[in-house]
Amino acid sequence: MALNTLVVDDSSVMRSIIIKTLKLSGLPLGDIWEAKNGEEGLRIIQDKWIDLALIDIHMPVMDGEEMLTRLRENDQYENLPVIVVSSESAPGKIEKMLKLGATFIHKPFTPEILKEVIVAVTGVNNENTD
Amino acid sequence: MKTQIEKVLIESTVRTFEDLCFMYQEPELKDAQKNLPLEAASEVKYRSDDFTGKLLIETRGGLSPAIATNILSNDDPSAQQKKDALGEIANIICGNIVPSLGGGGREYKIEPPRSLSKDDLLKEEGQEEPVAEITLNFNDGRVDIKLFVDGYSAAKEKKSD
Repeated sequence: MALNTLVVDDSSVMRSIIIKTLKLSGLPLGDIWEAKNGEEGLRIIQDKWIDLALIDIHMPVMDGEEMLTRLRENDQYENLPVIVVSSESAPGKIEKMLKLGATFIHKPFTPEILKEVIVAVTGVNNENTD
Repeated sequence: MKTQIEKVLIESTVRTFEDLCFMYQEPELKDAQKNLPLEAASEVKYRSDDFTGKLLIETRGGLSPAIATNILSNDDPSAQQKKDALGEIANIICGNIVPSLGGGGREYKIEPPRSLSKDDLLKEEGQEEPVAEITLNFNDGRVDIKLFVDGYSAAKEKKSD
């Protein structure tokens, strides 16, 4: 199974870092979509088939917490695997995201860490078949 | 003697450069690296309920383009990409270091990074004293990071060790 992945971050550099790290992880990837805030991210999720979303917390227009809350309010996306990728270390904010069913990765991160977490939340076979 | 904050700042910076830029700290600063001209600078401001401050990062000796090249896998990054890449590094290091300032449990906000010109730096020079200041060398270049907490100084921090 190739993972169609959505990367949501207001920093284009950070999106590039995440996508590069995804590719280095060796996981089977399908289409990769990018959004620069939660609102754009939700629109892509409604339009495309997404298997995994990696989202930032602090973003303009709509932040990661609101995006995740709205996703979980919709039965269709209740179980969509979501990984929050952030340099946030405030326990209150992280706790809220975990309660909404997300998994947390702290920046900086390695391809190995990203792979381990993605395998755990998606159950994807960790061998790239490309 | 390094303060506790400086130790955390070094650990966080080394890990960020290793994990994201695939750059590894050289053991010693060479003479040629000591007087390099400034090439880029970025600052990130942070605030909590009871303290505010900023992290300032400066690069020298070709480190700014090398950071952008490595993290974007682009051999010819634009000027904006170099600024953005350095800003993202500053943002990550700041996000890692700020919680160690006020202990666990505090909520805080980190502002988006701001690229600084030499004129900006000259205006701010000497206005405040950093709580922590480190210099690390990667490749043939060098990174200098200063951490400021409004109303506090390195002297106060050293006294409390």
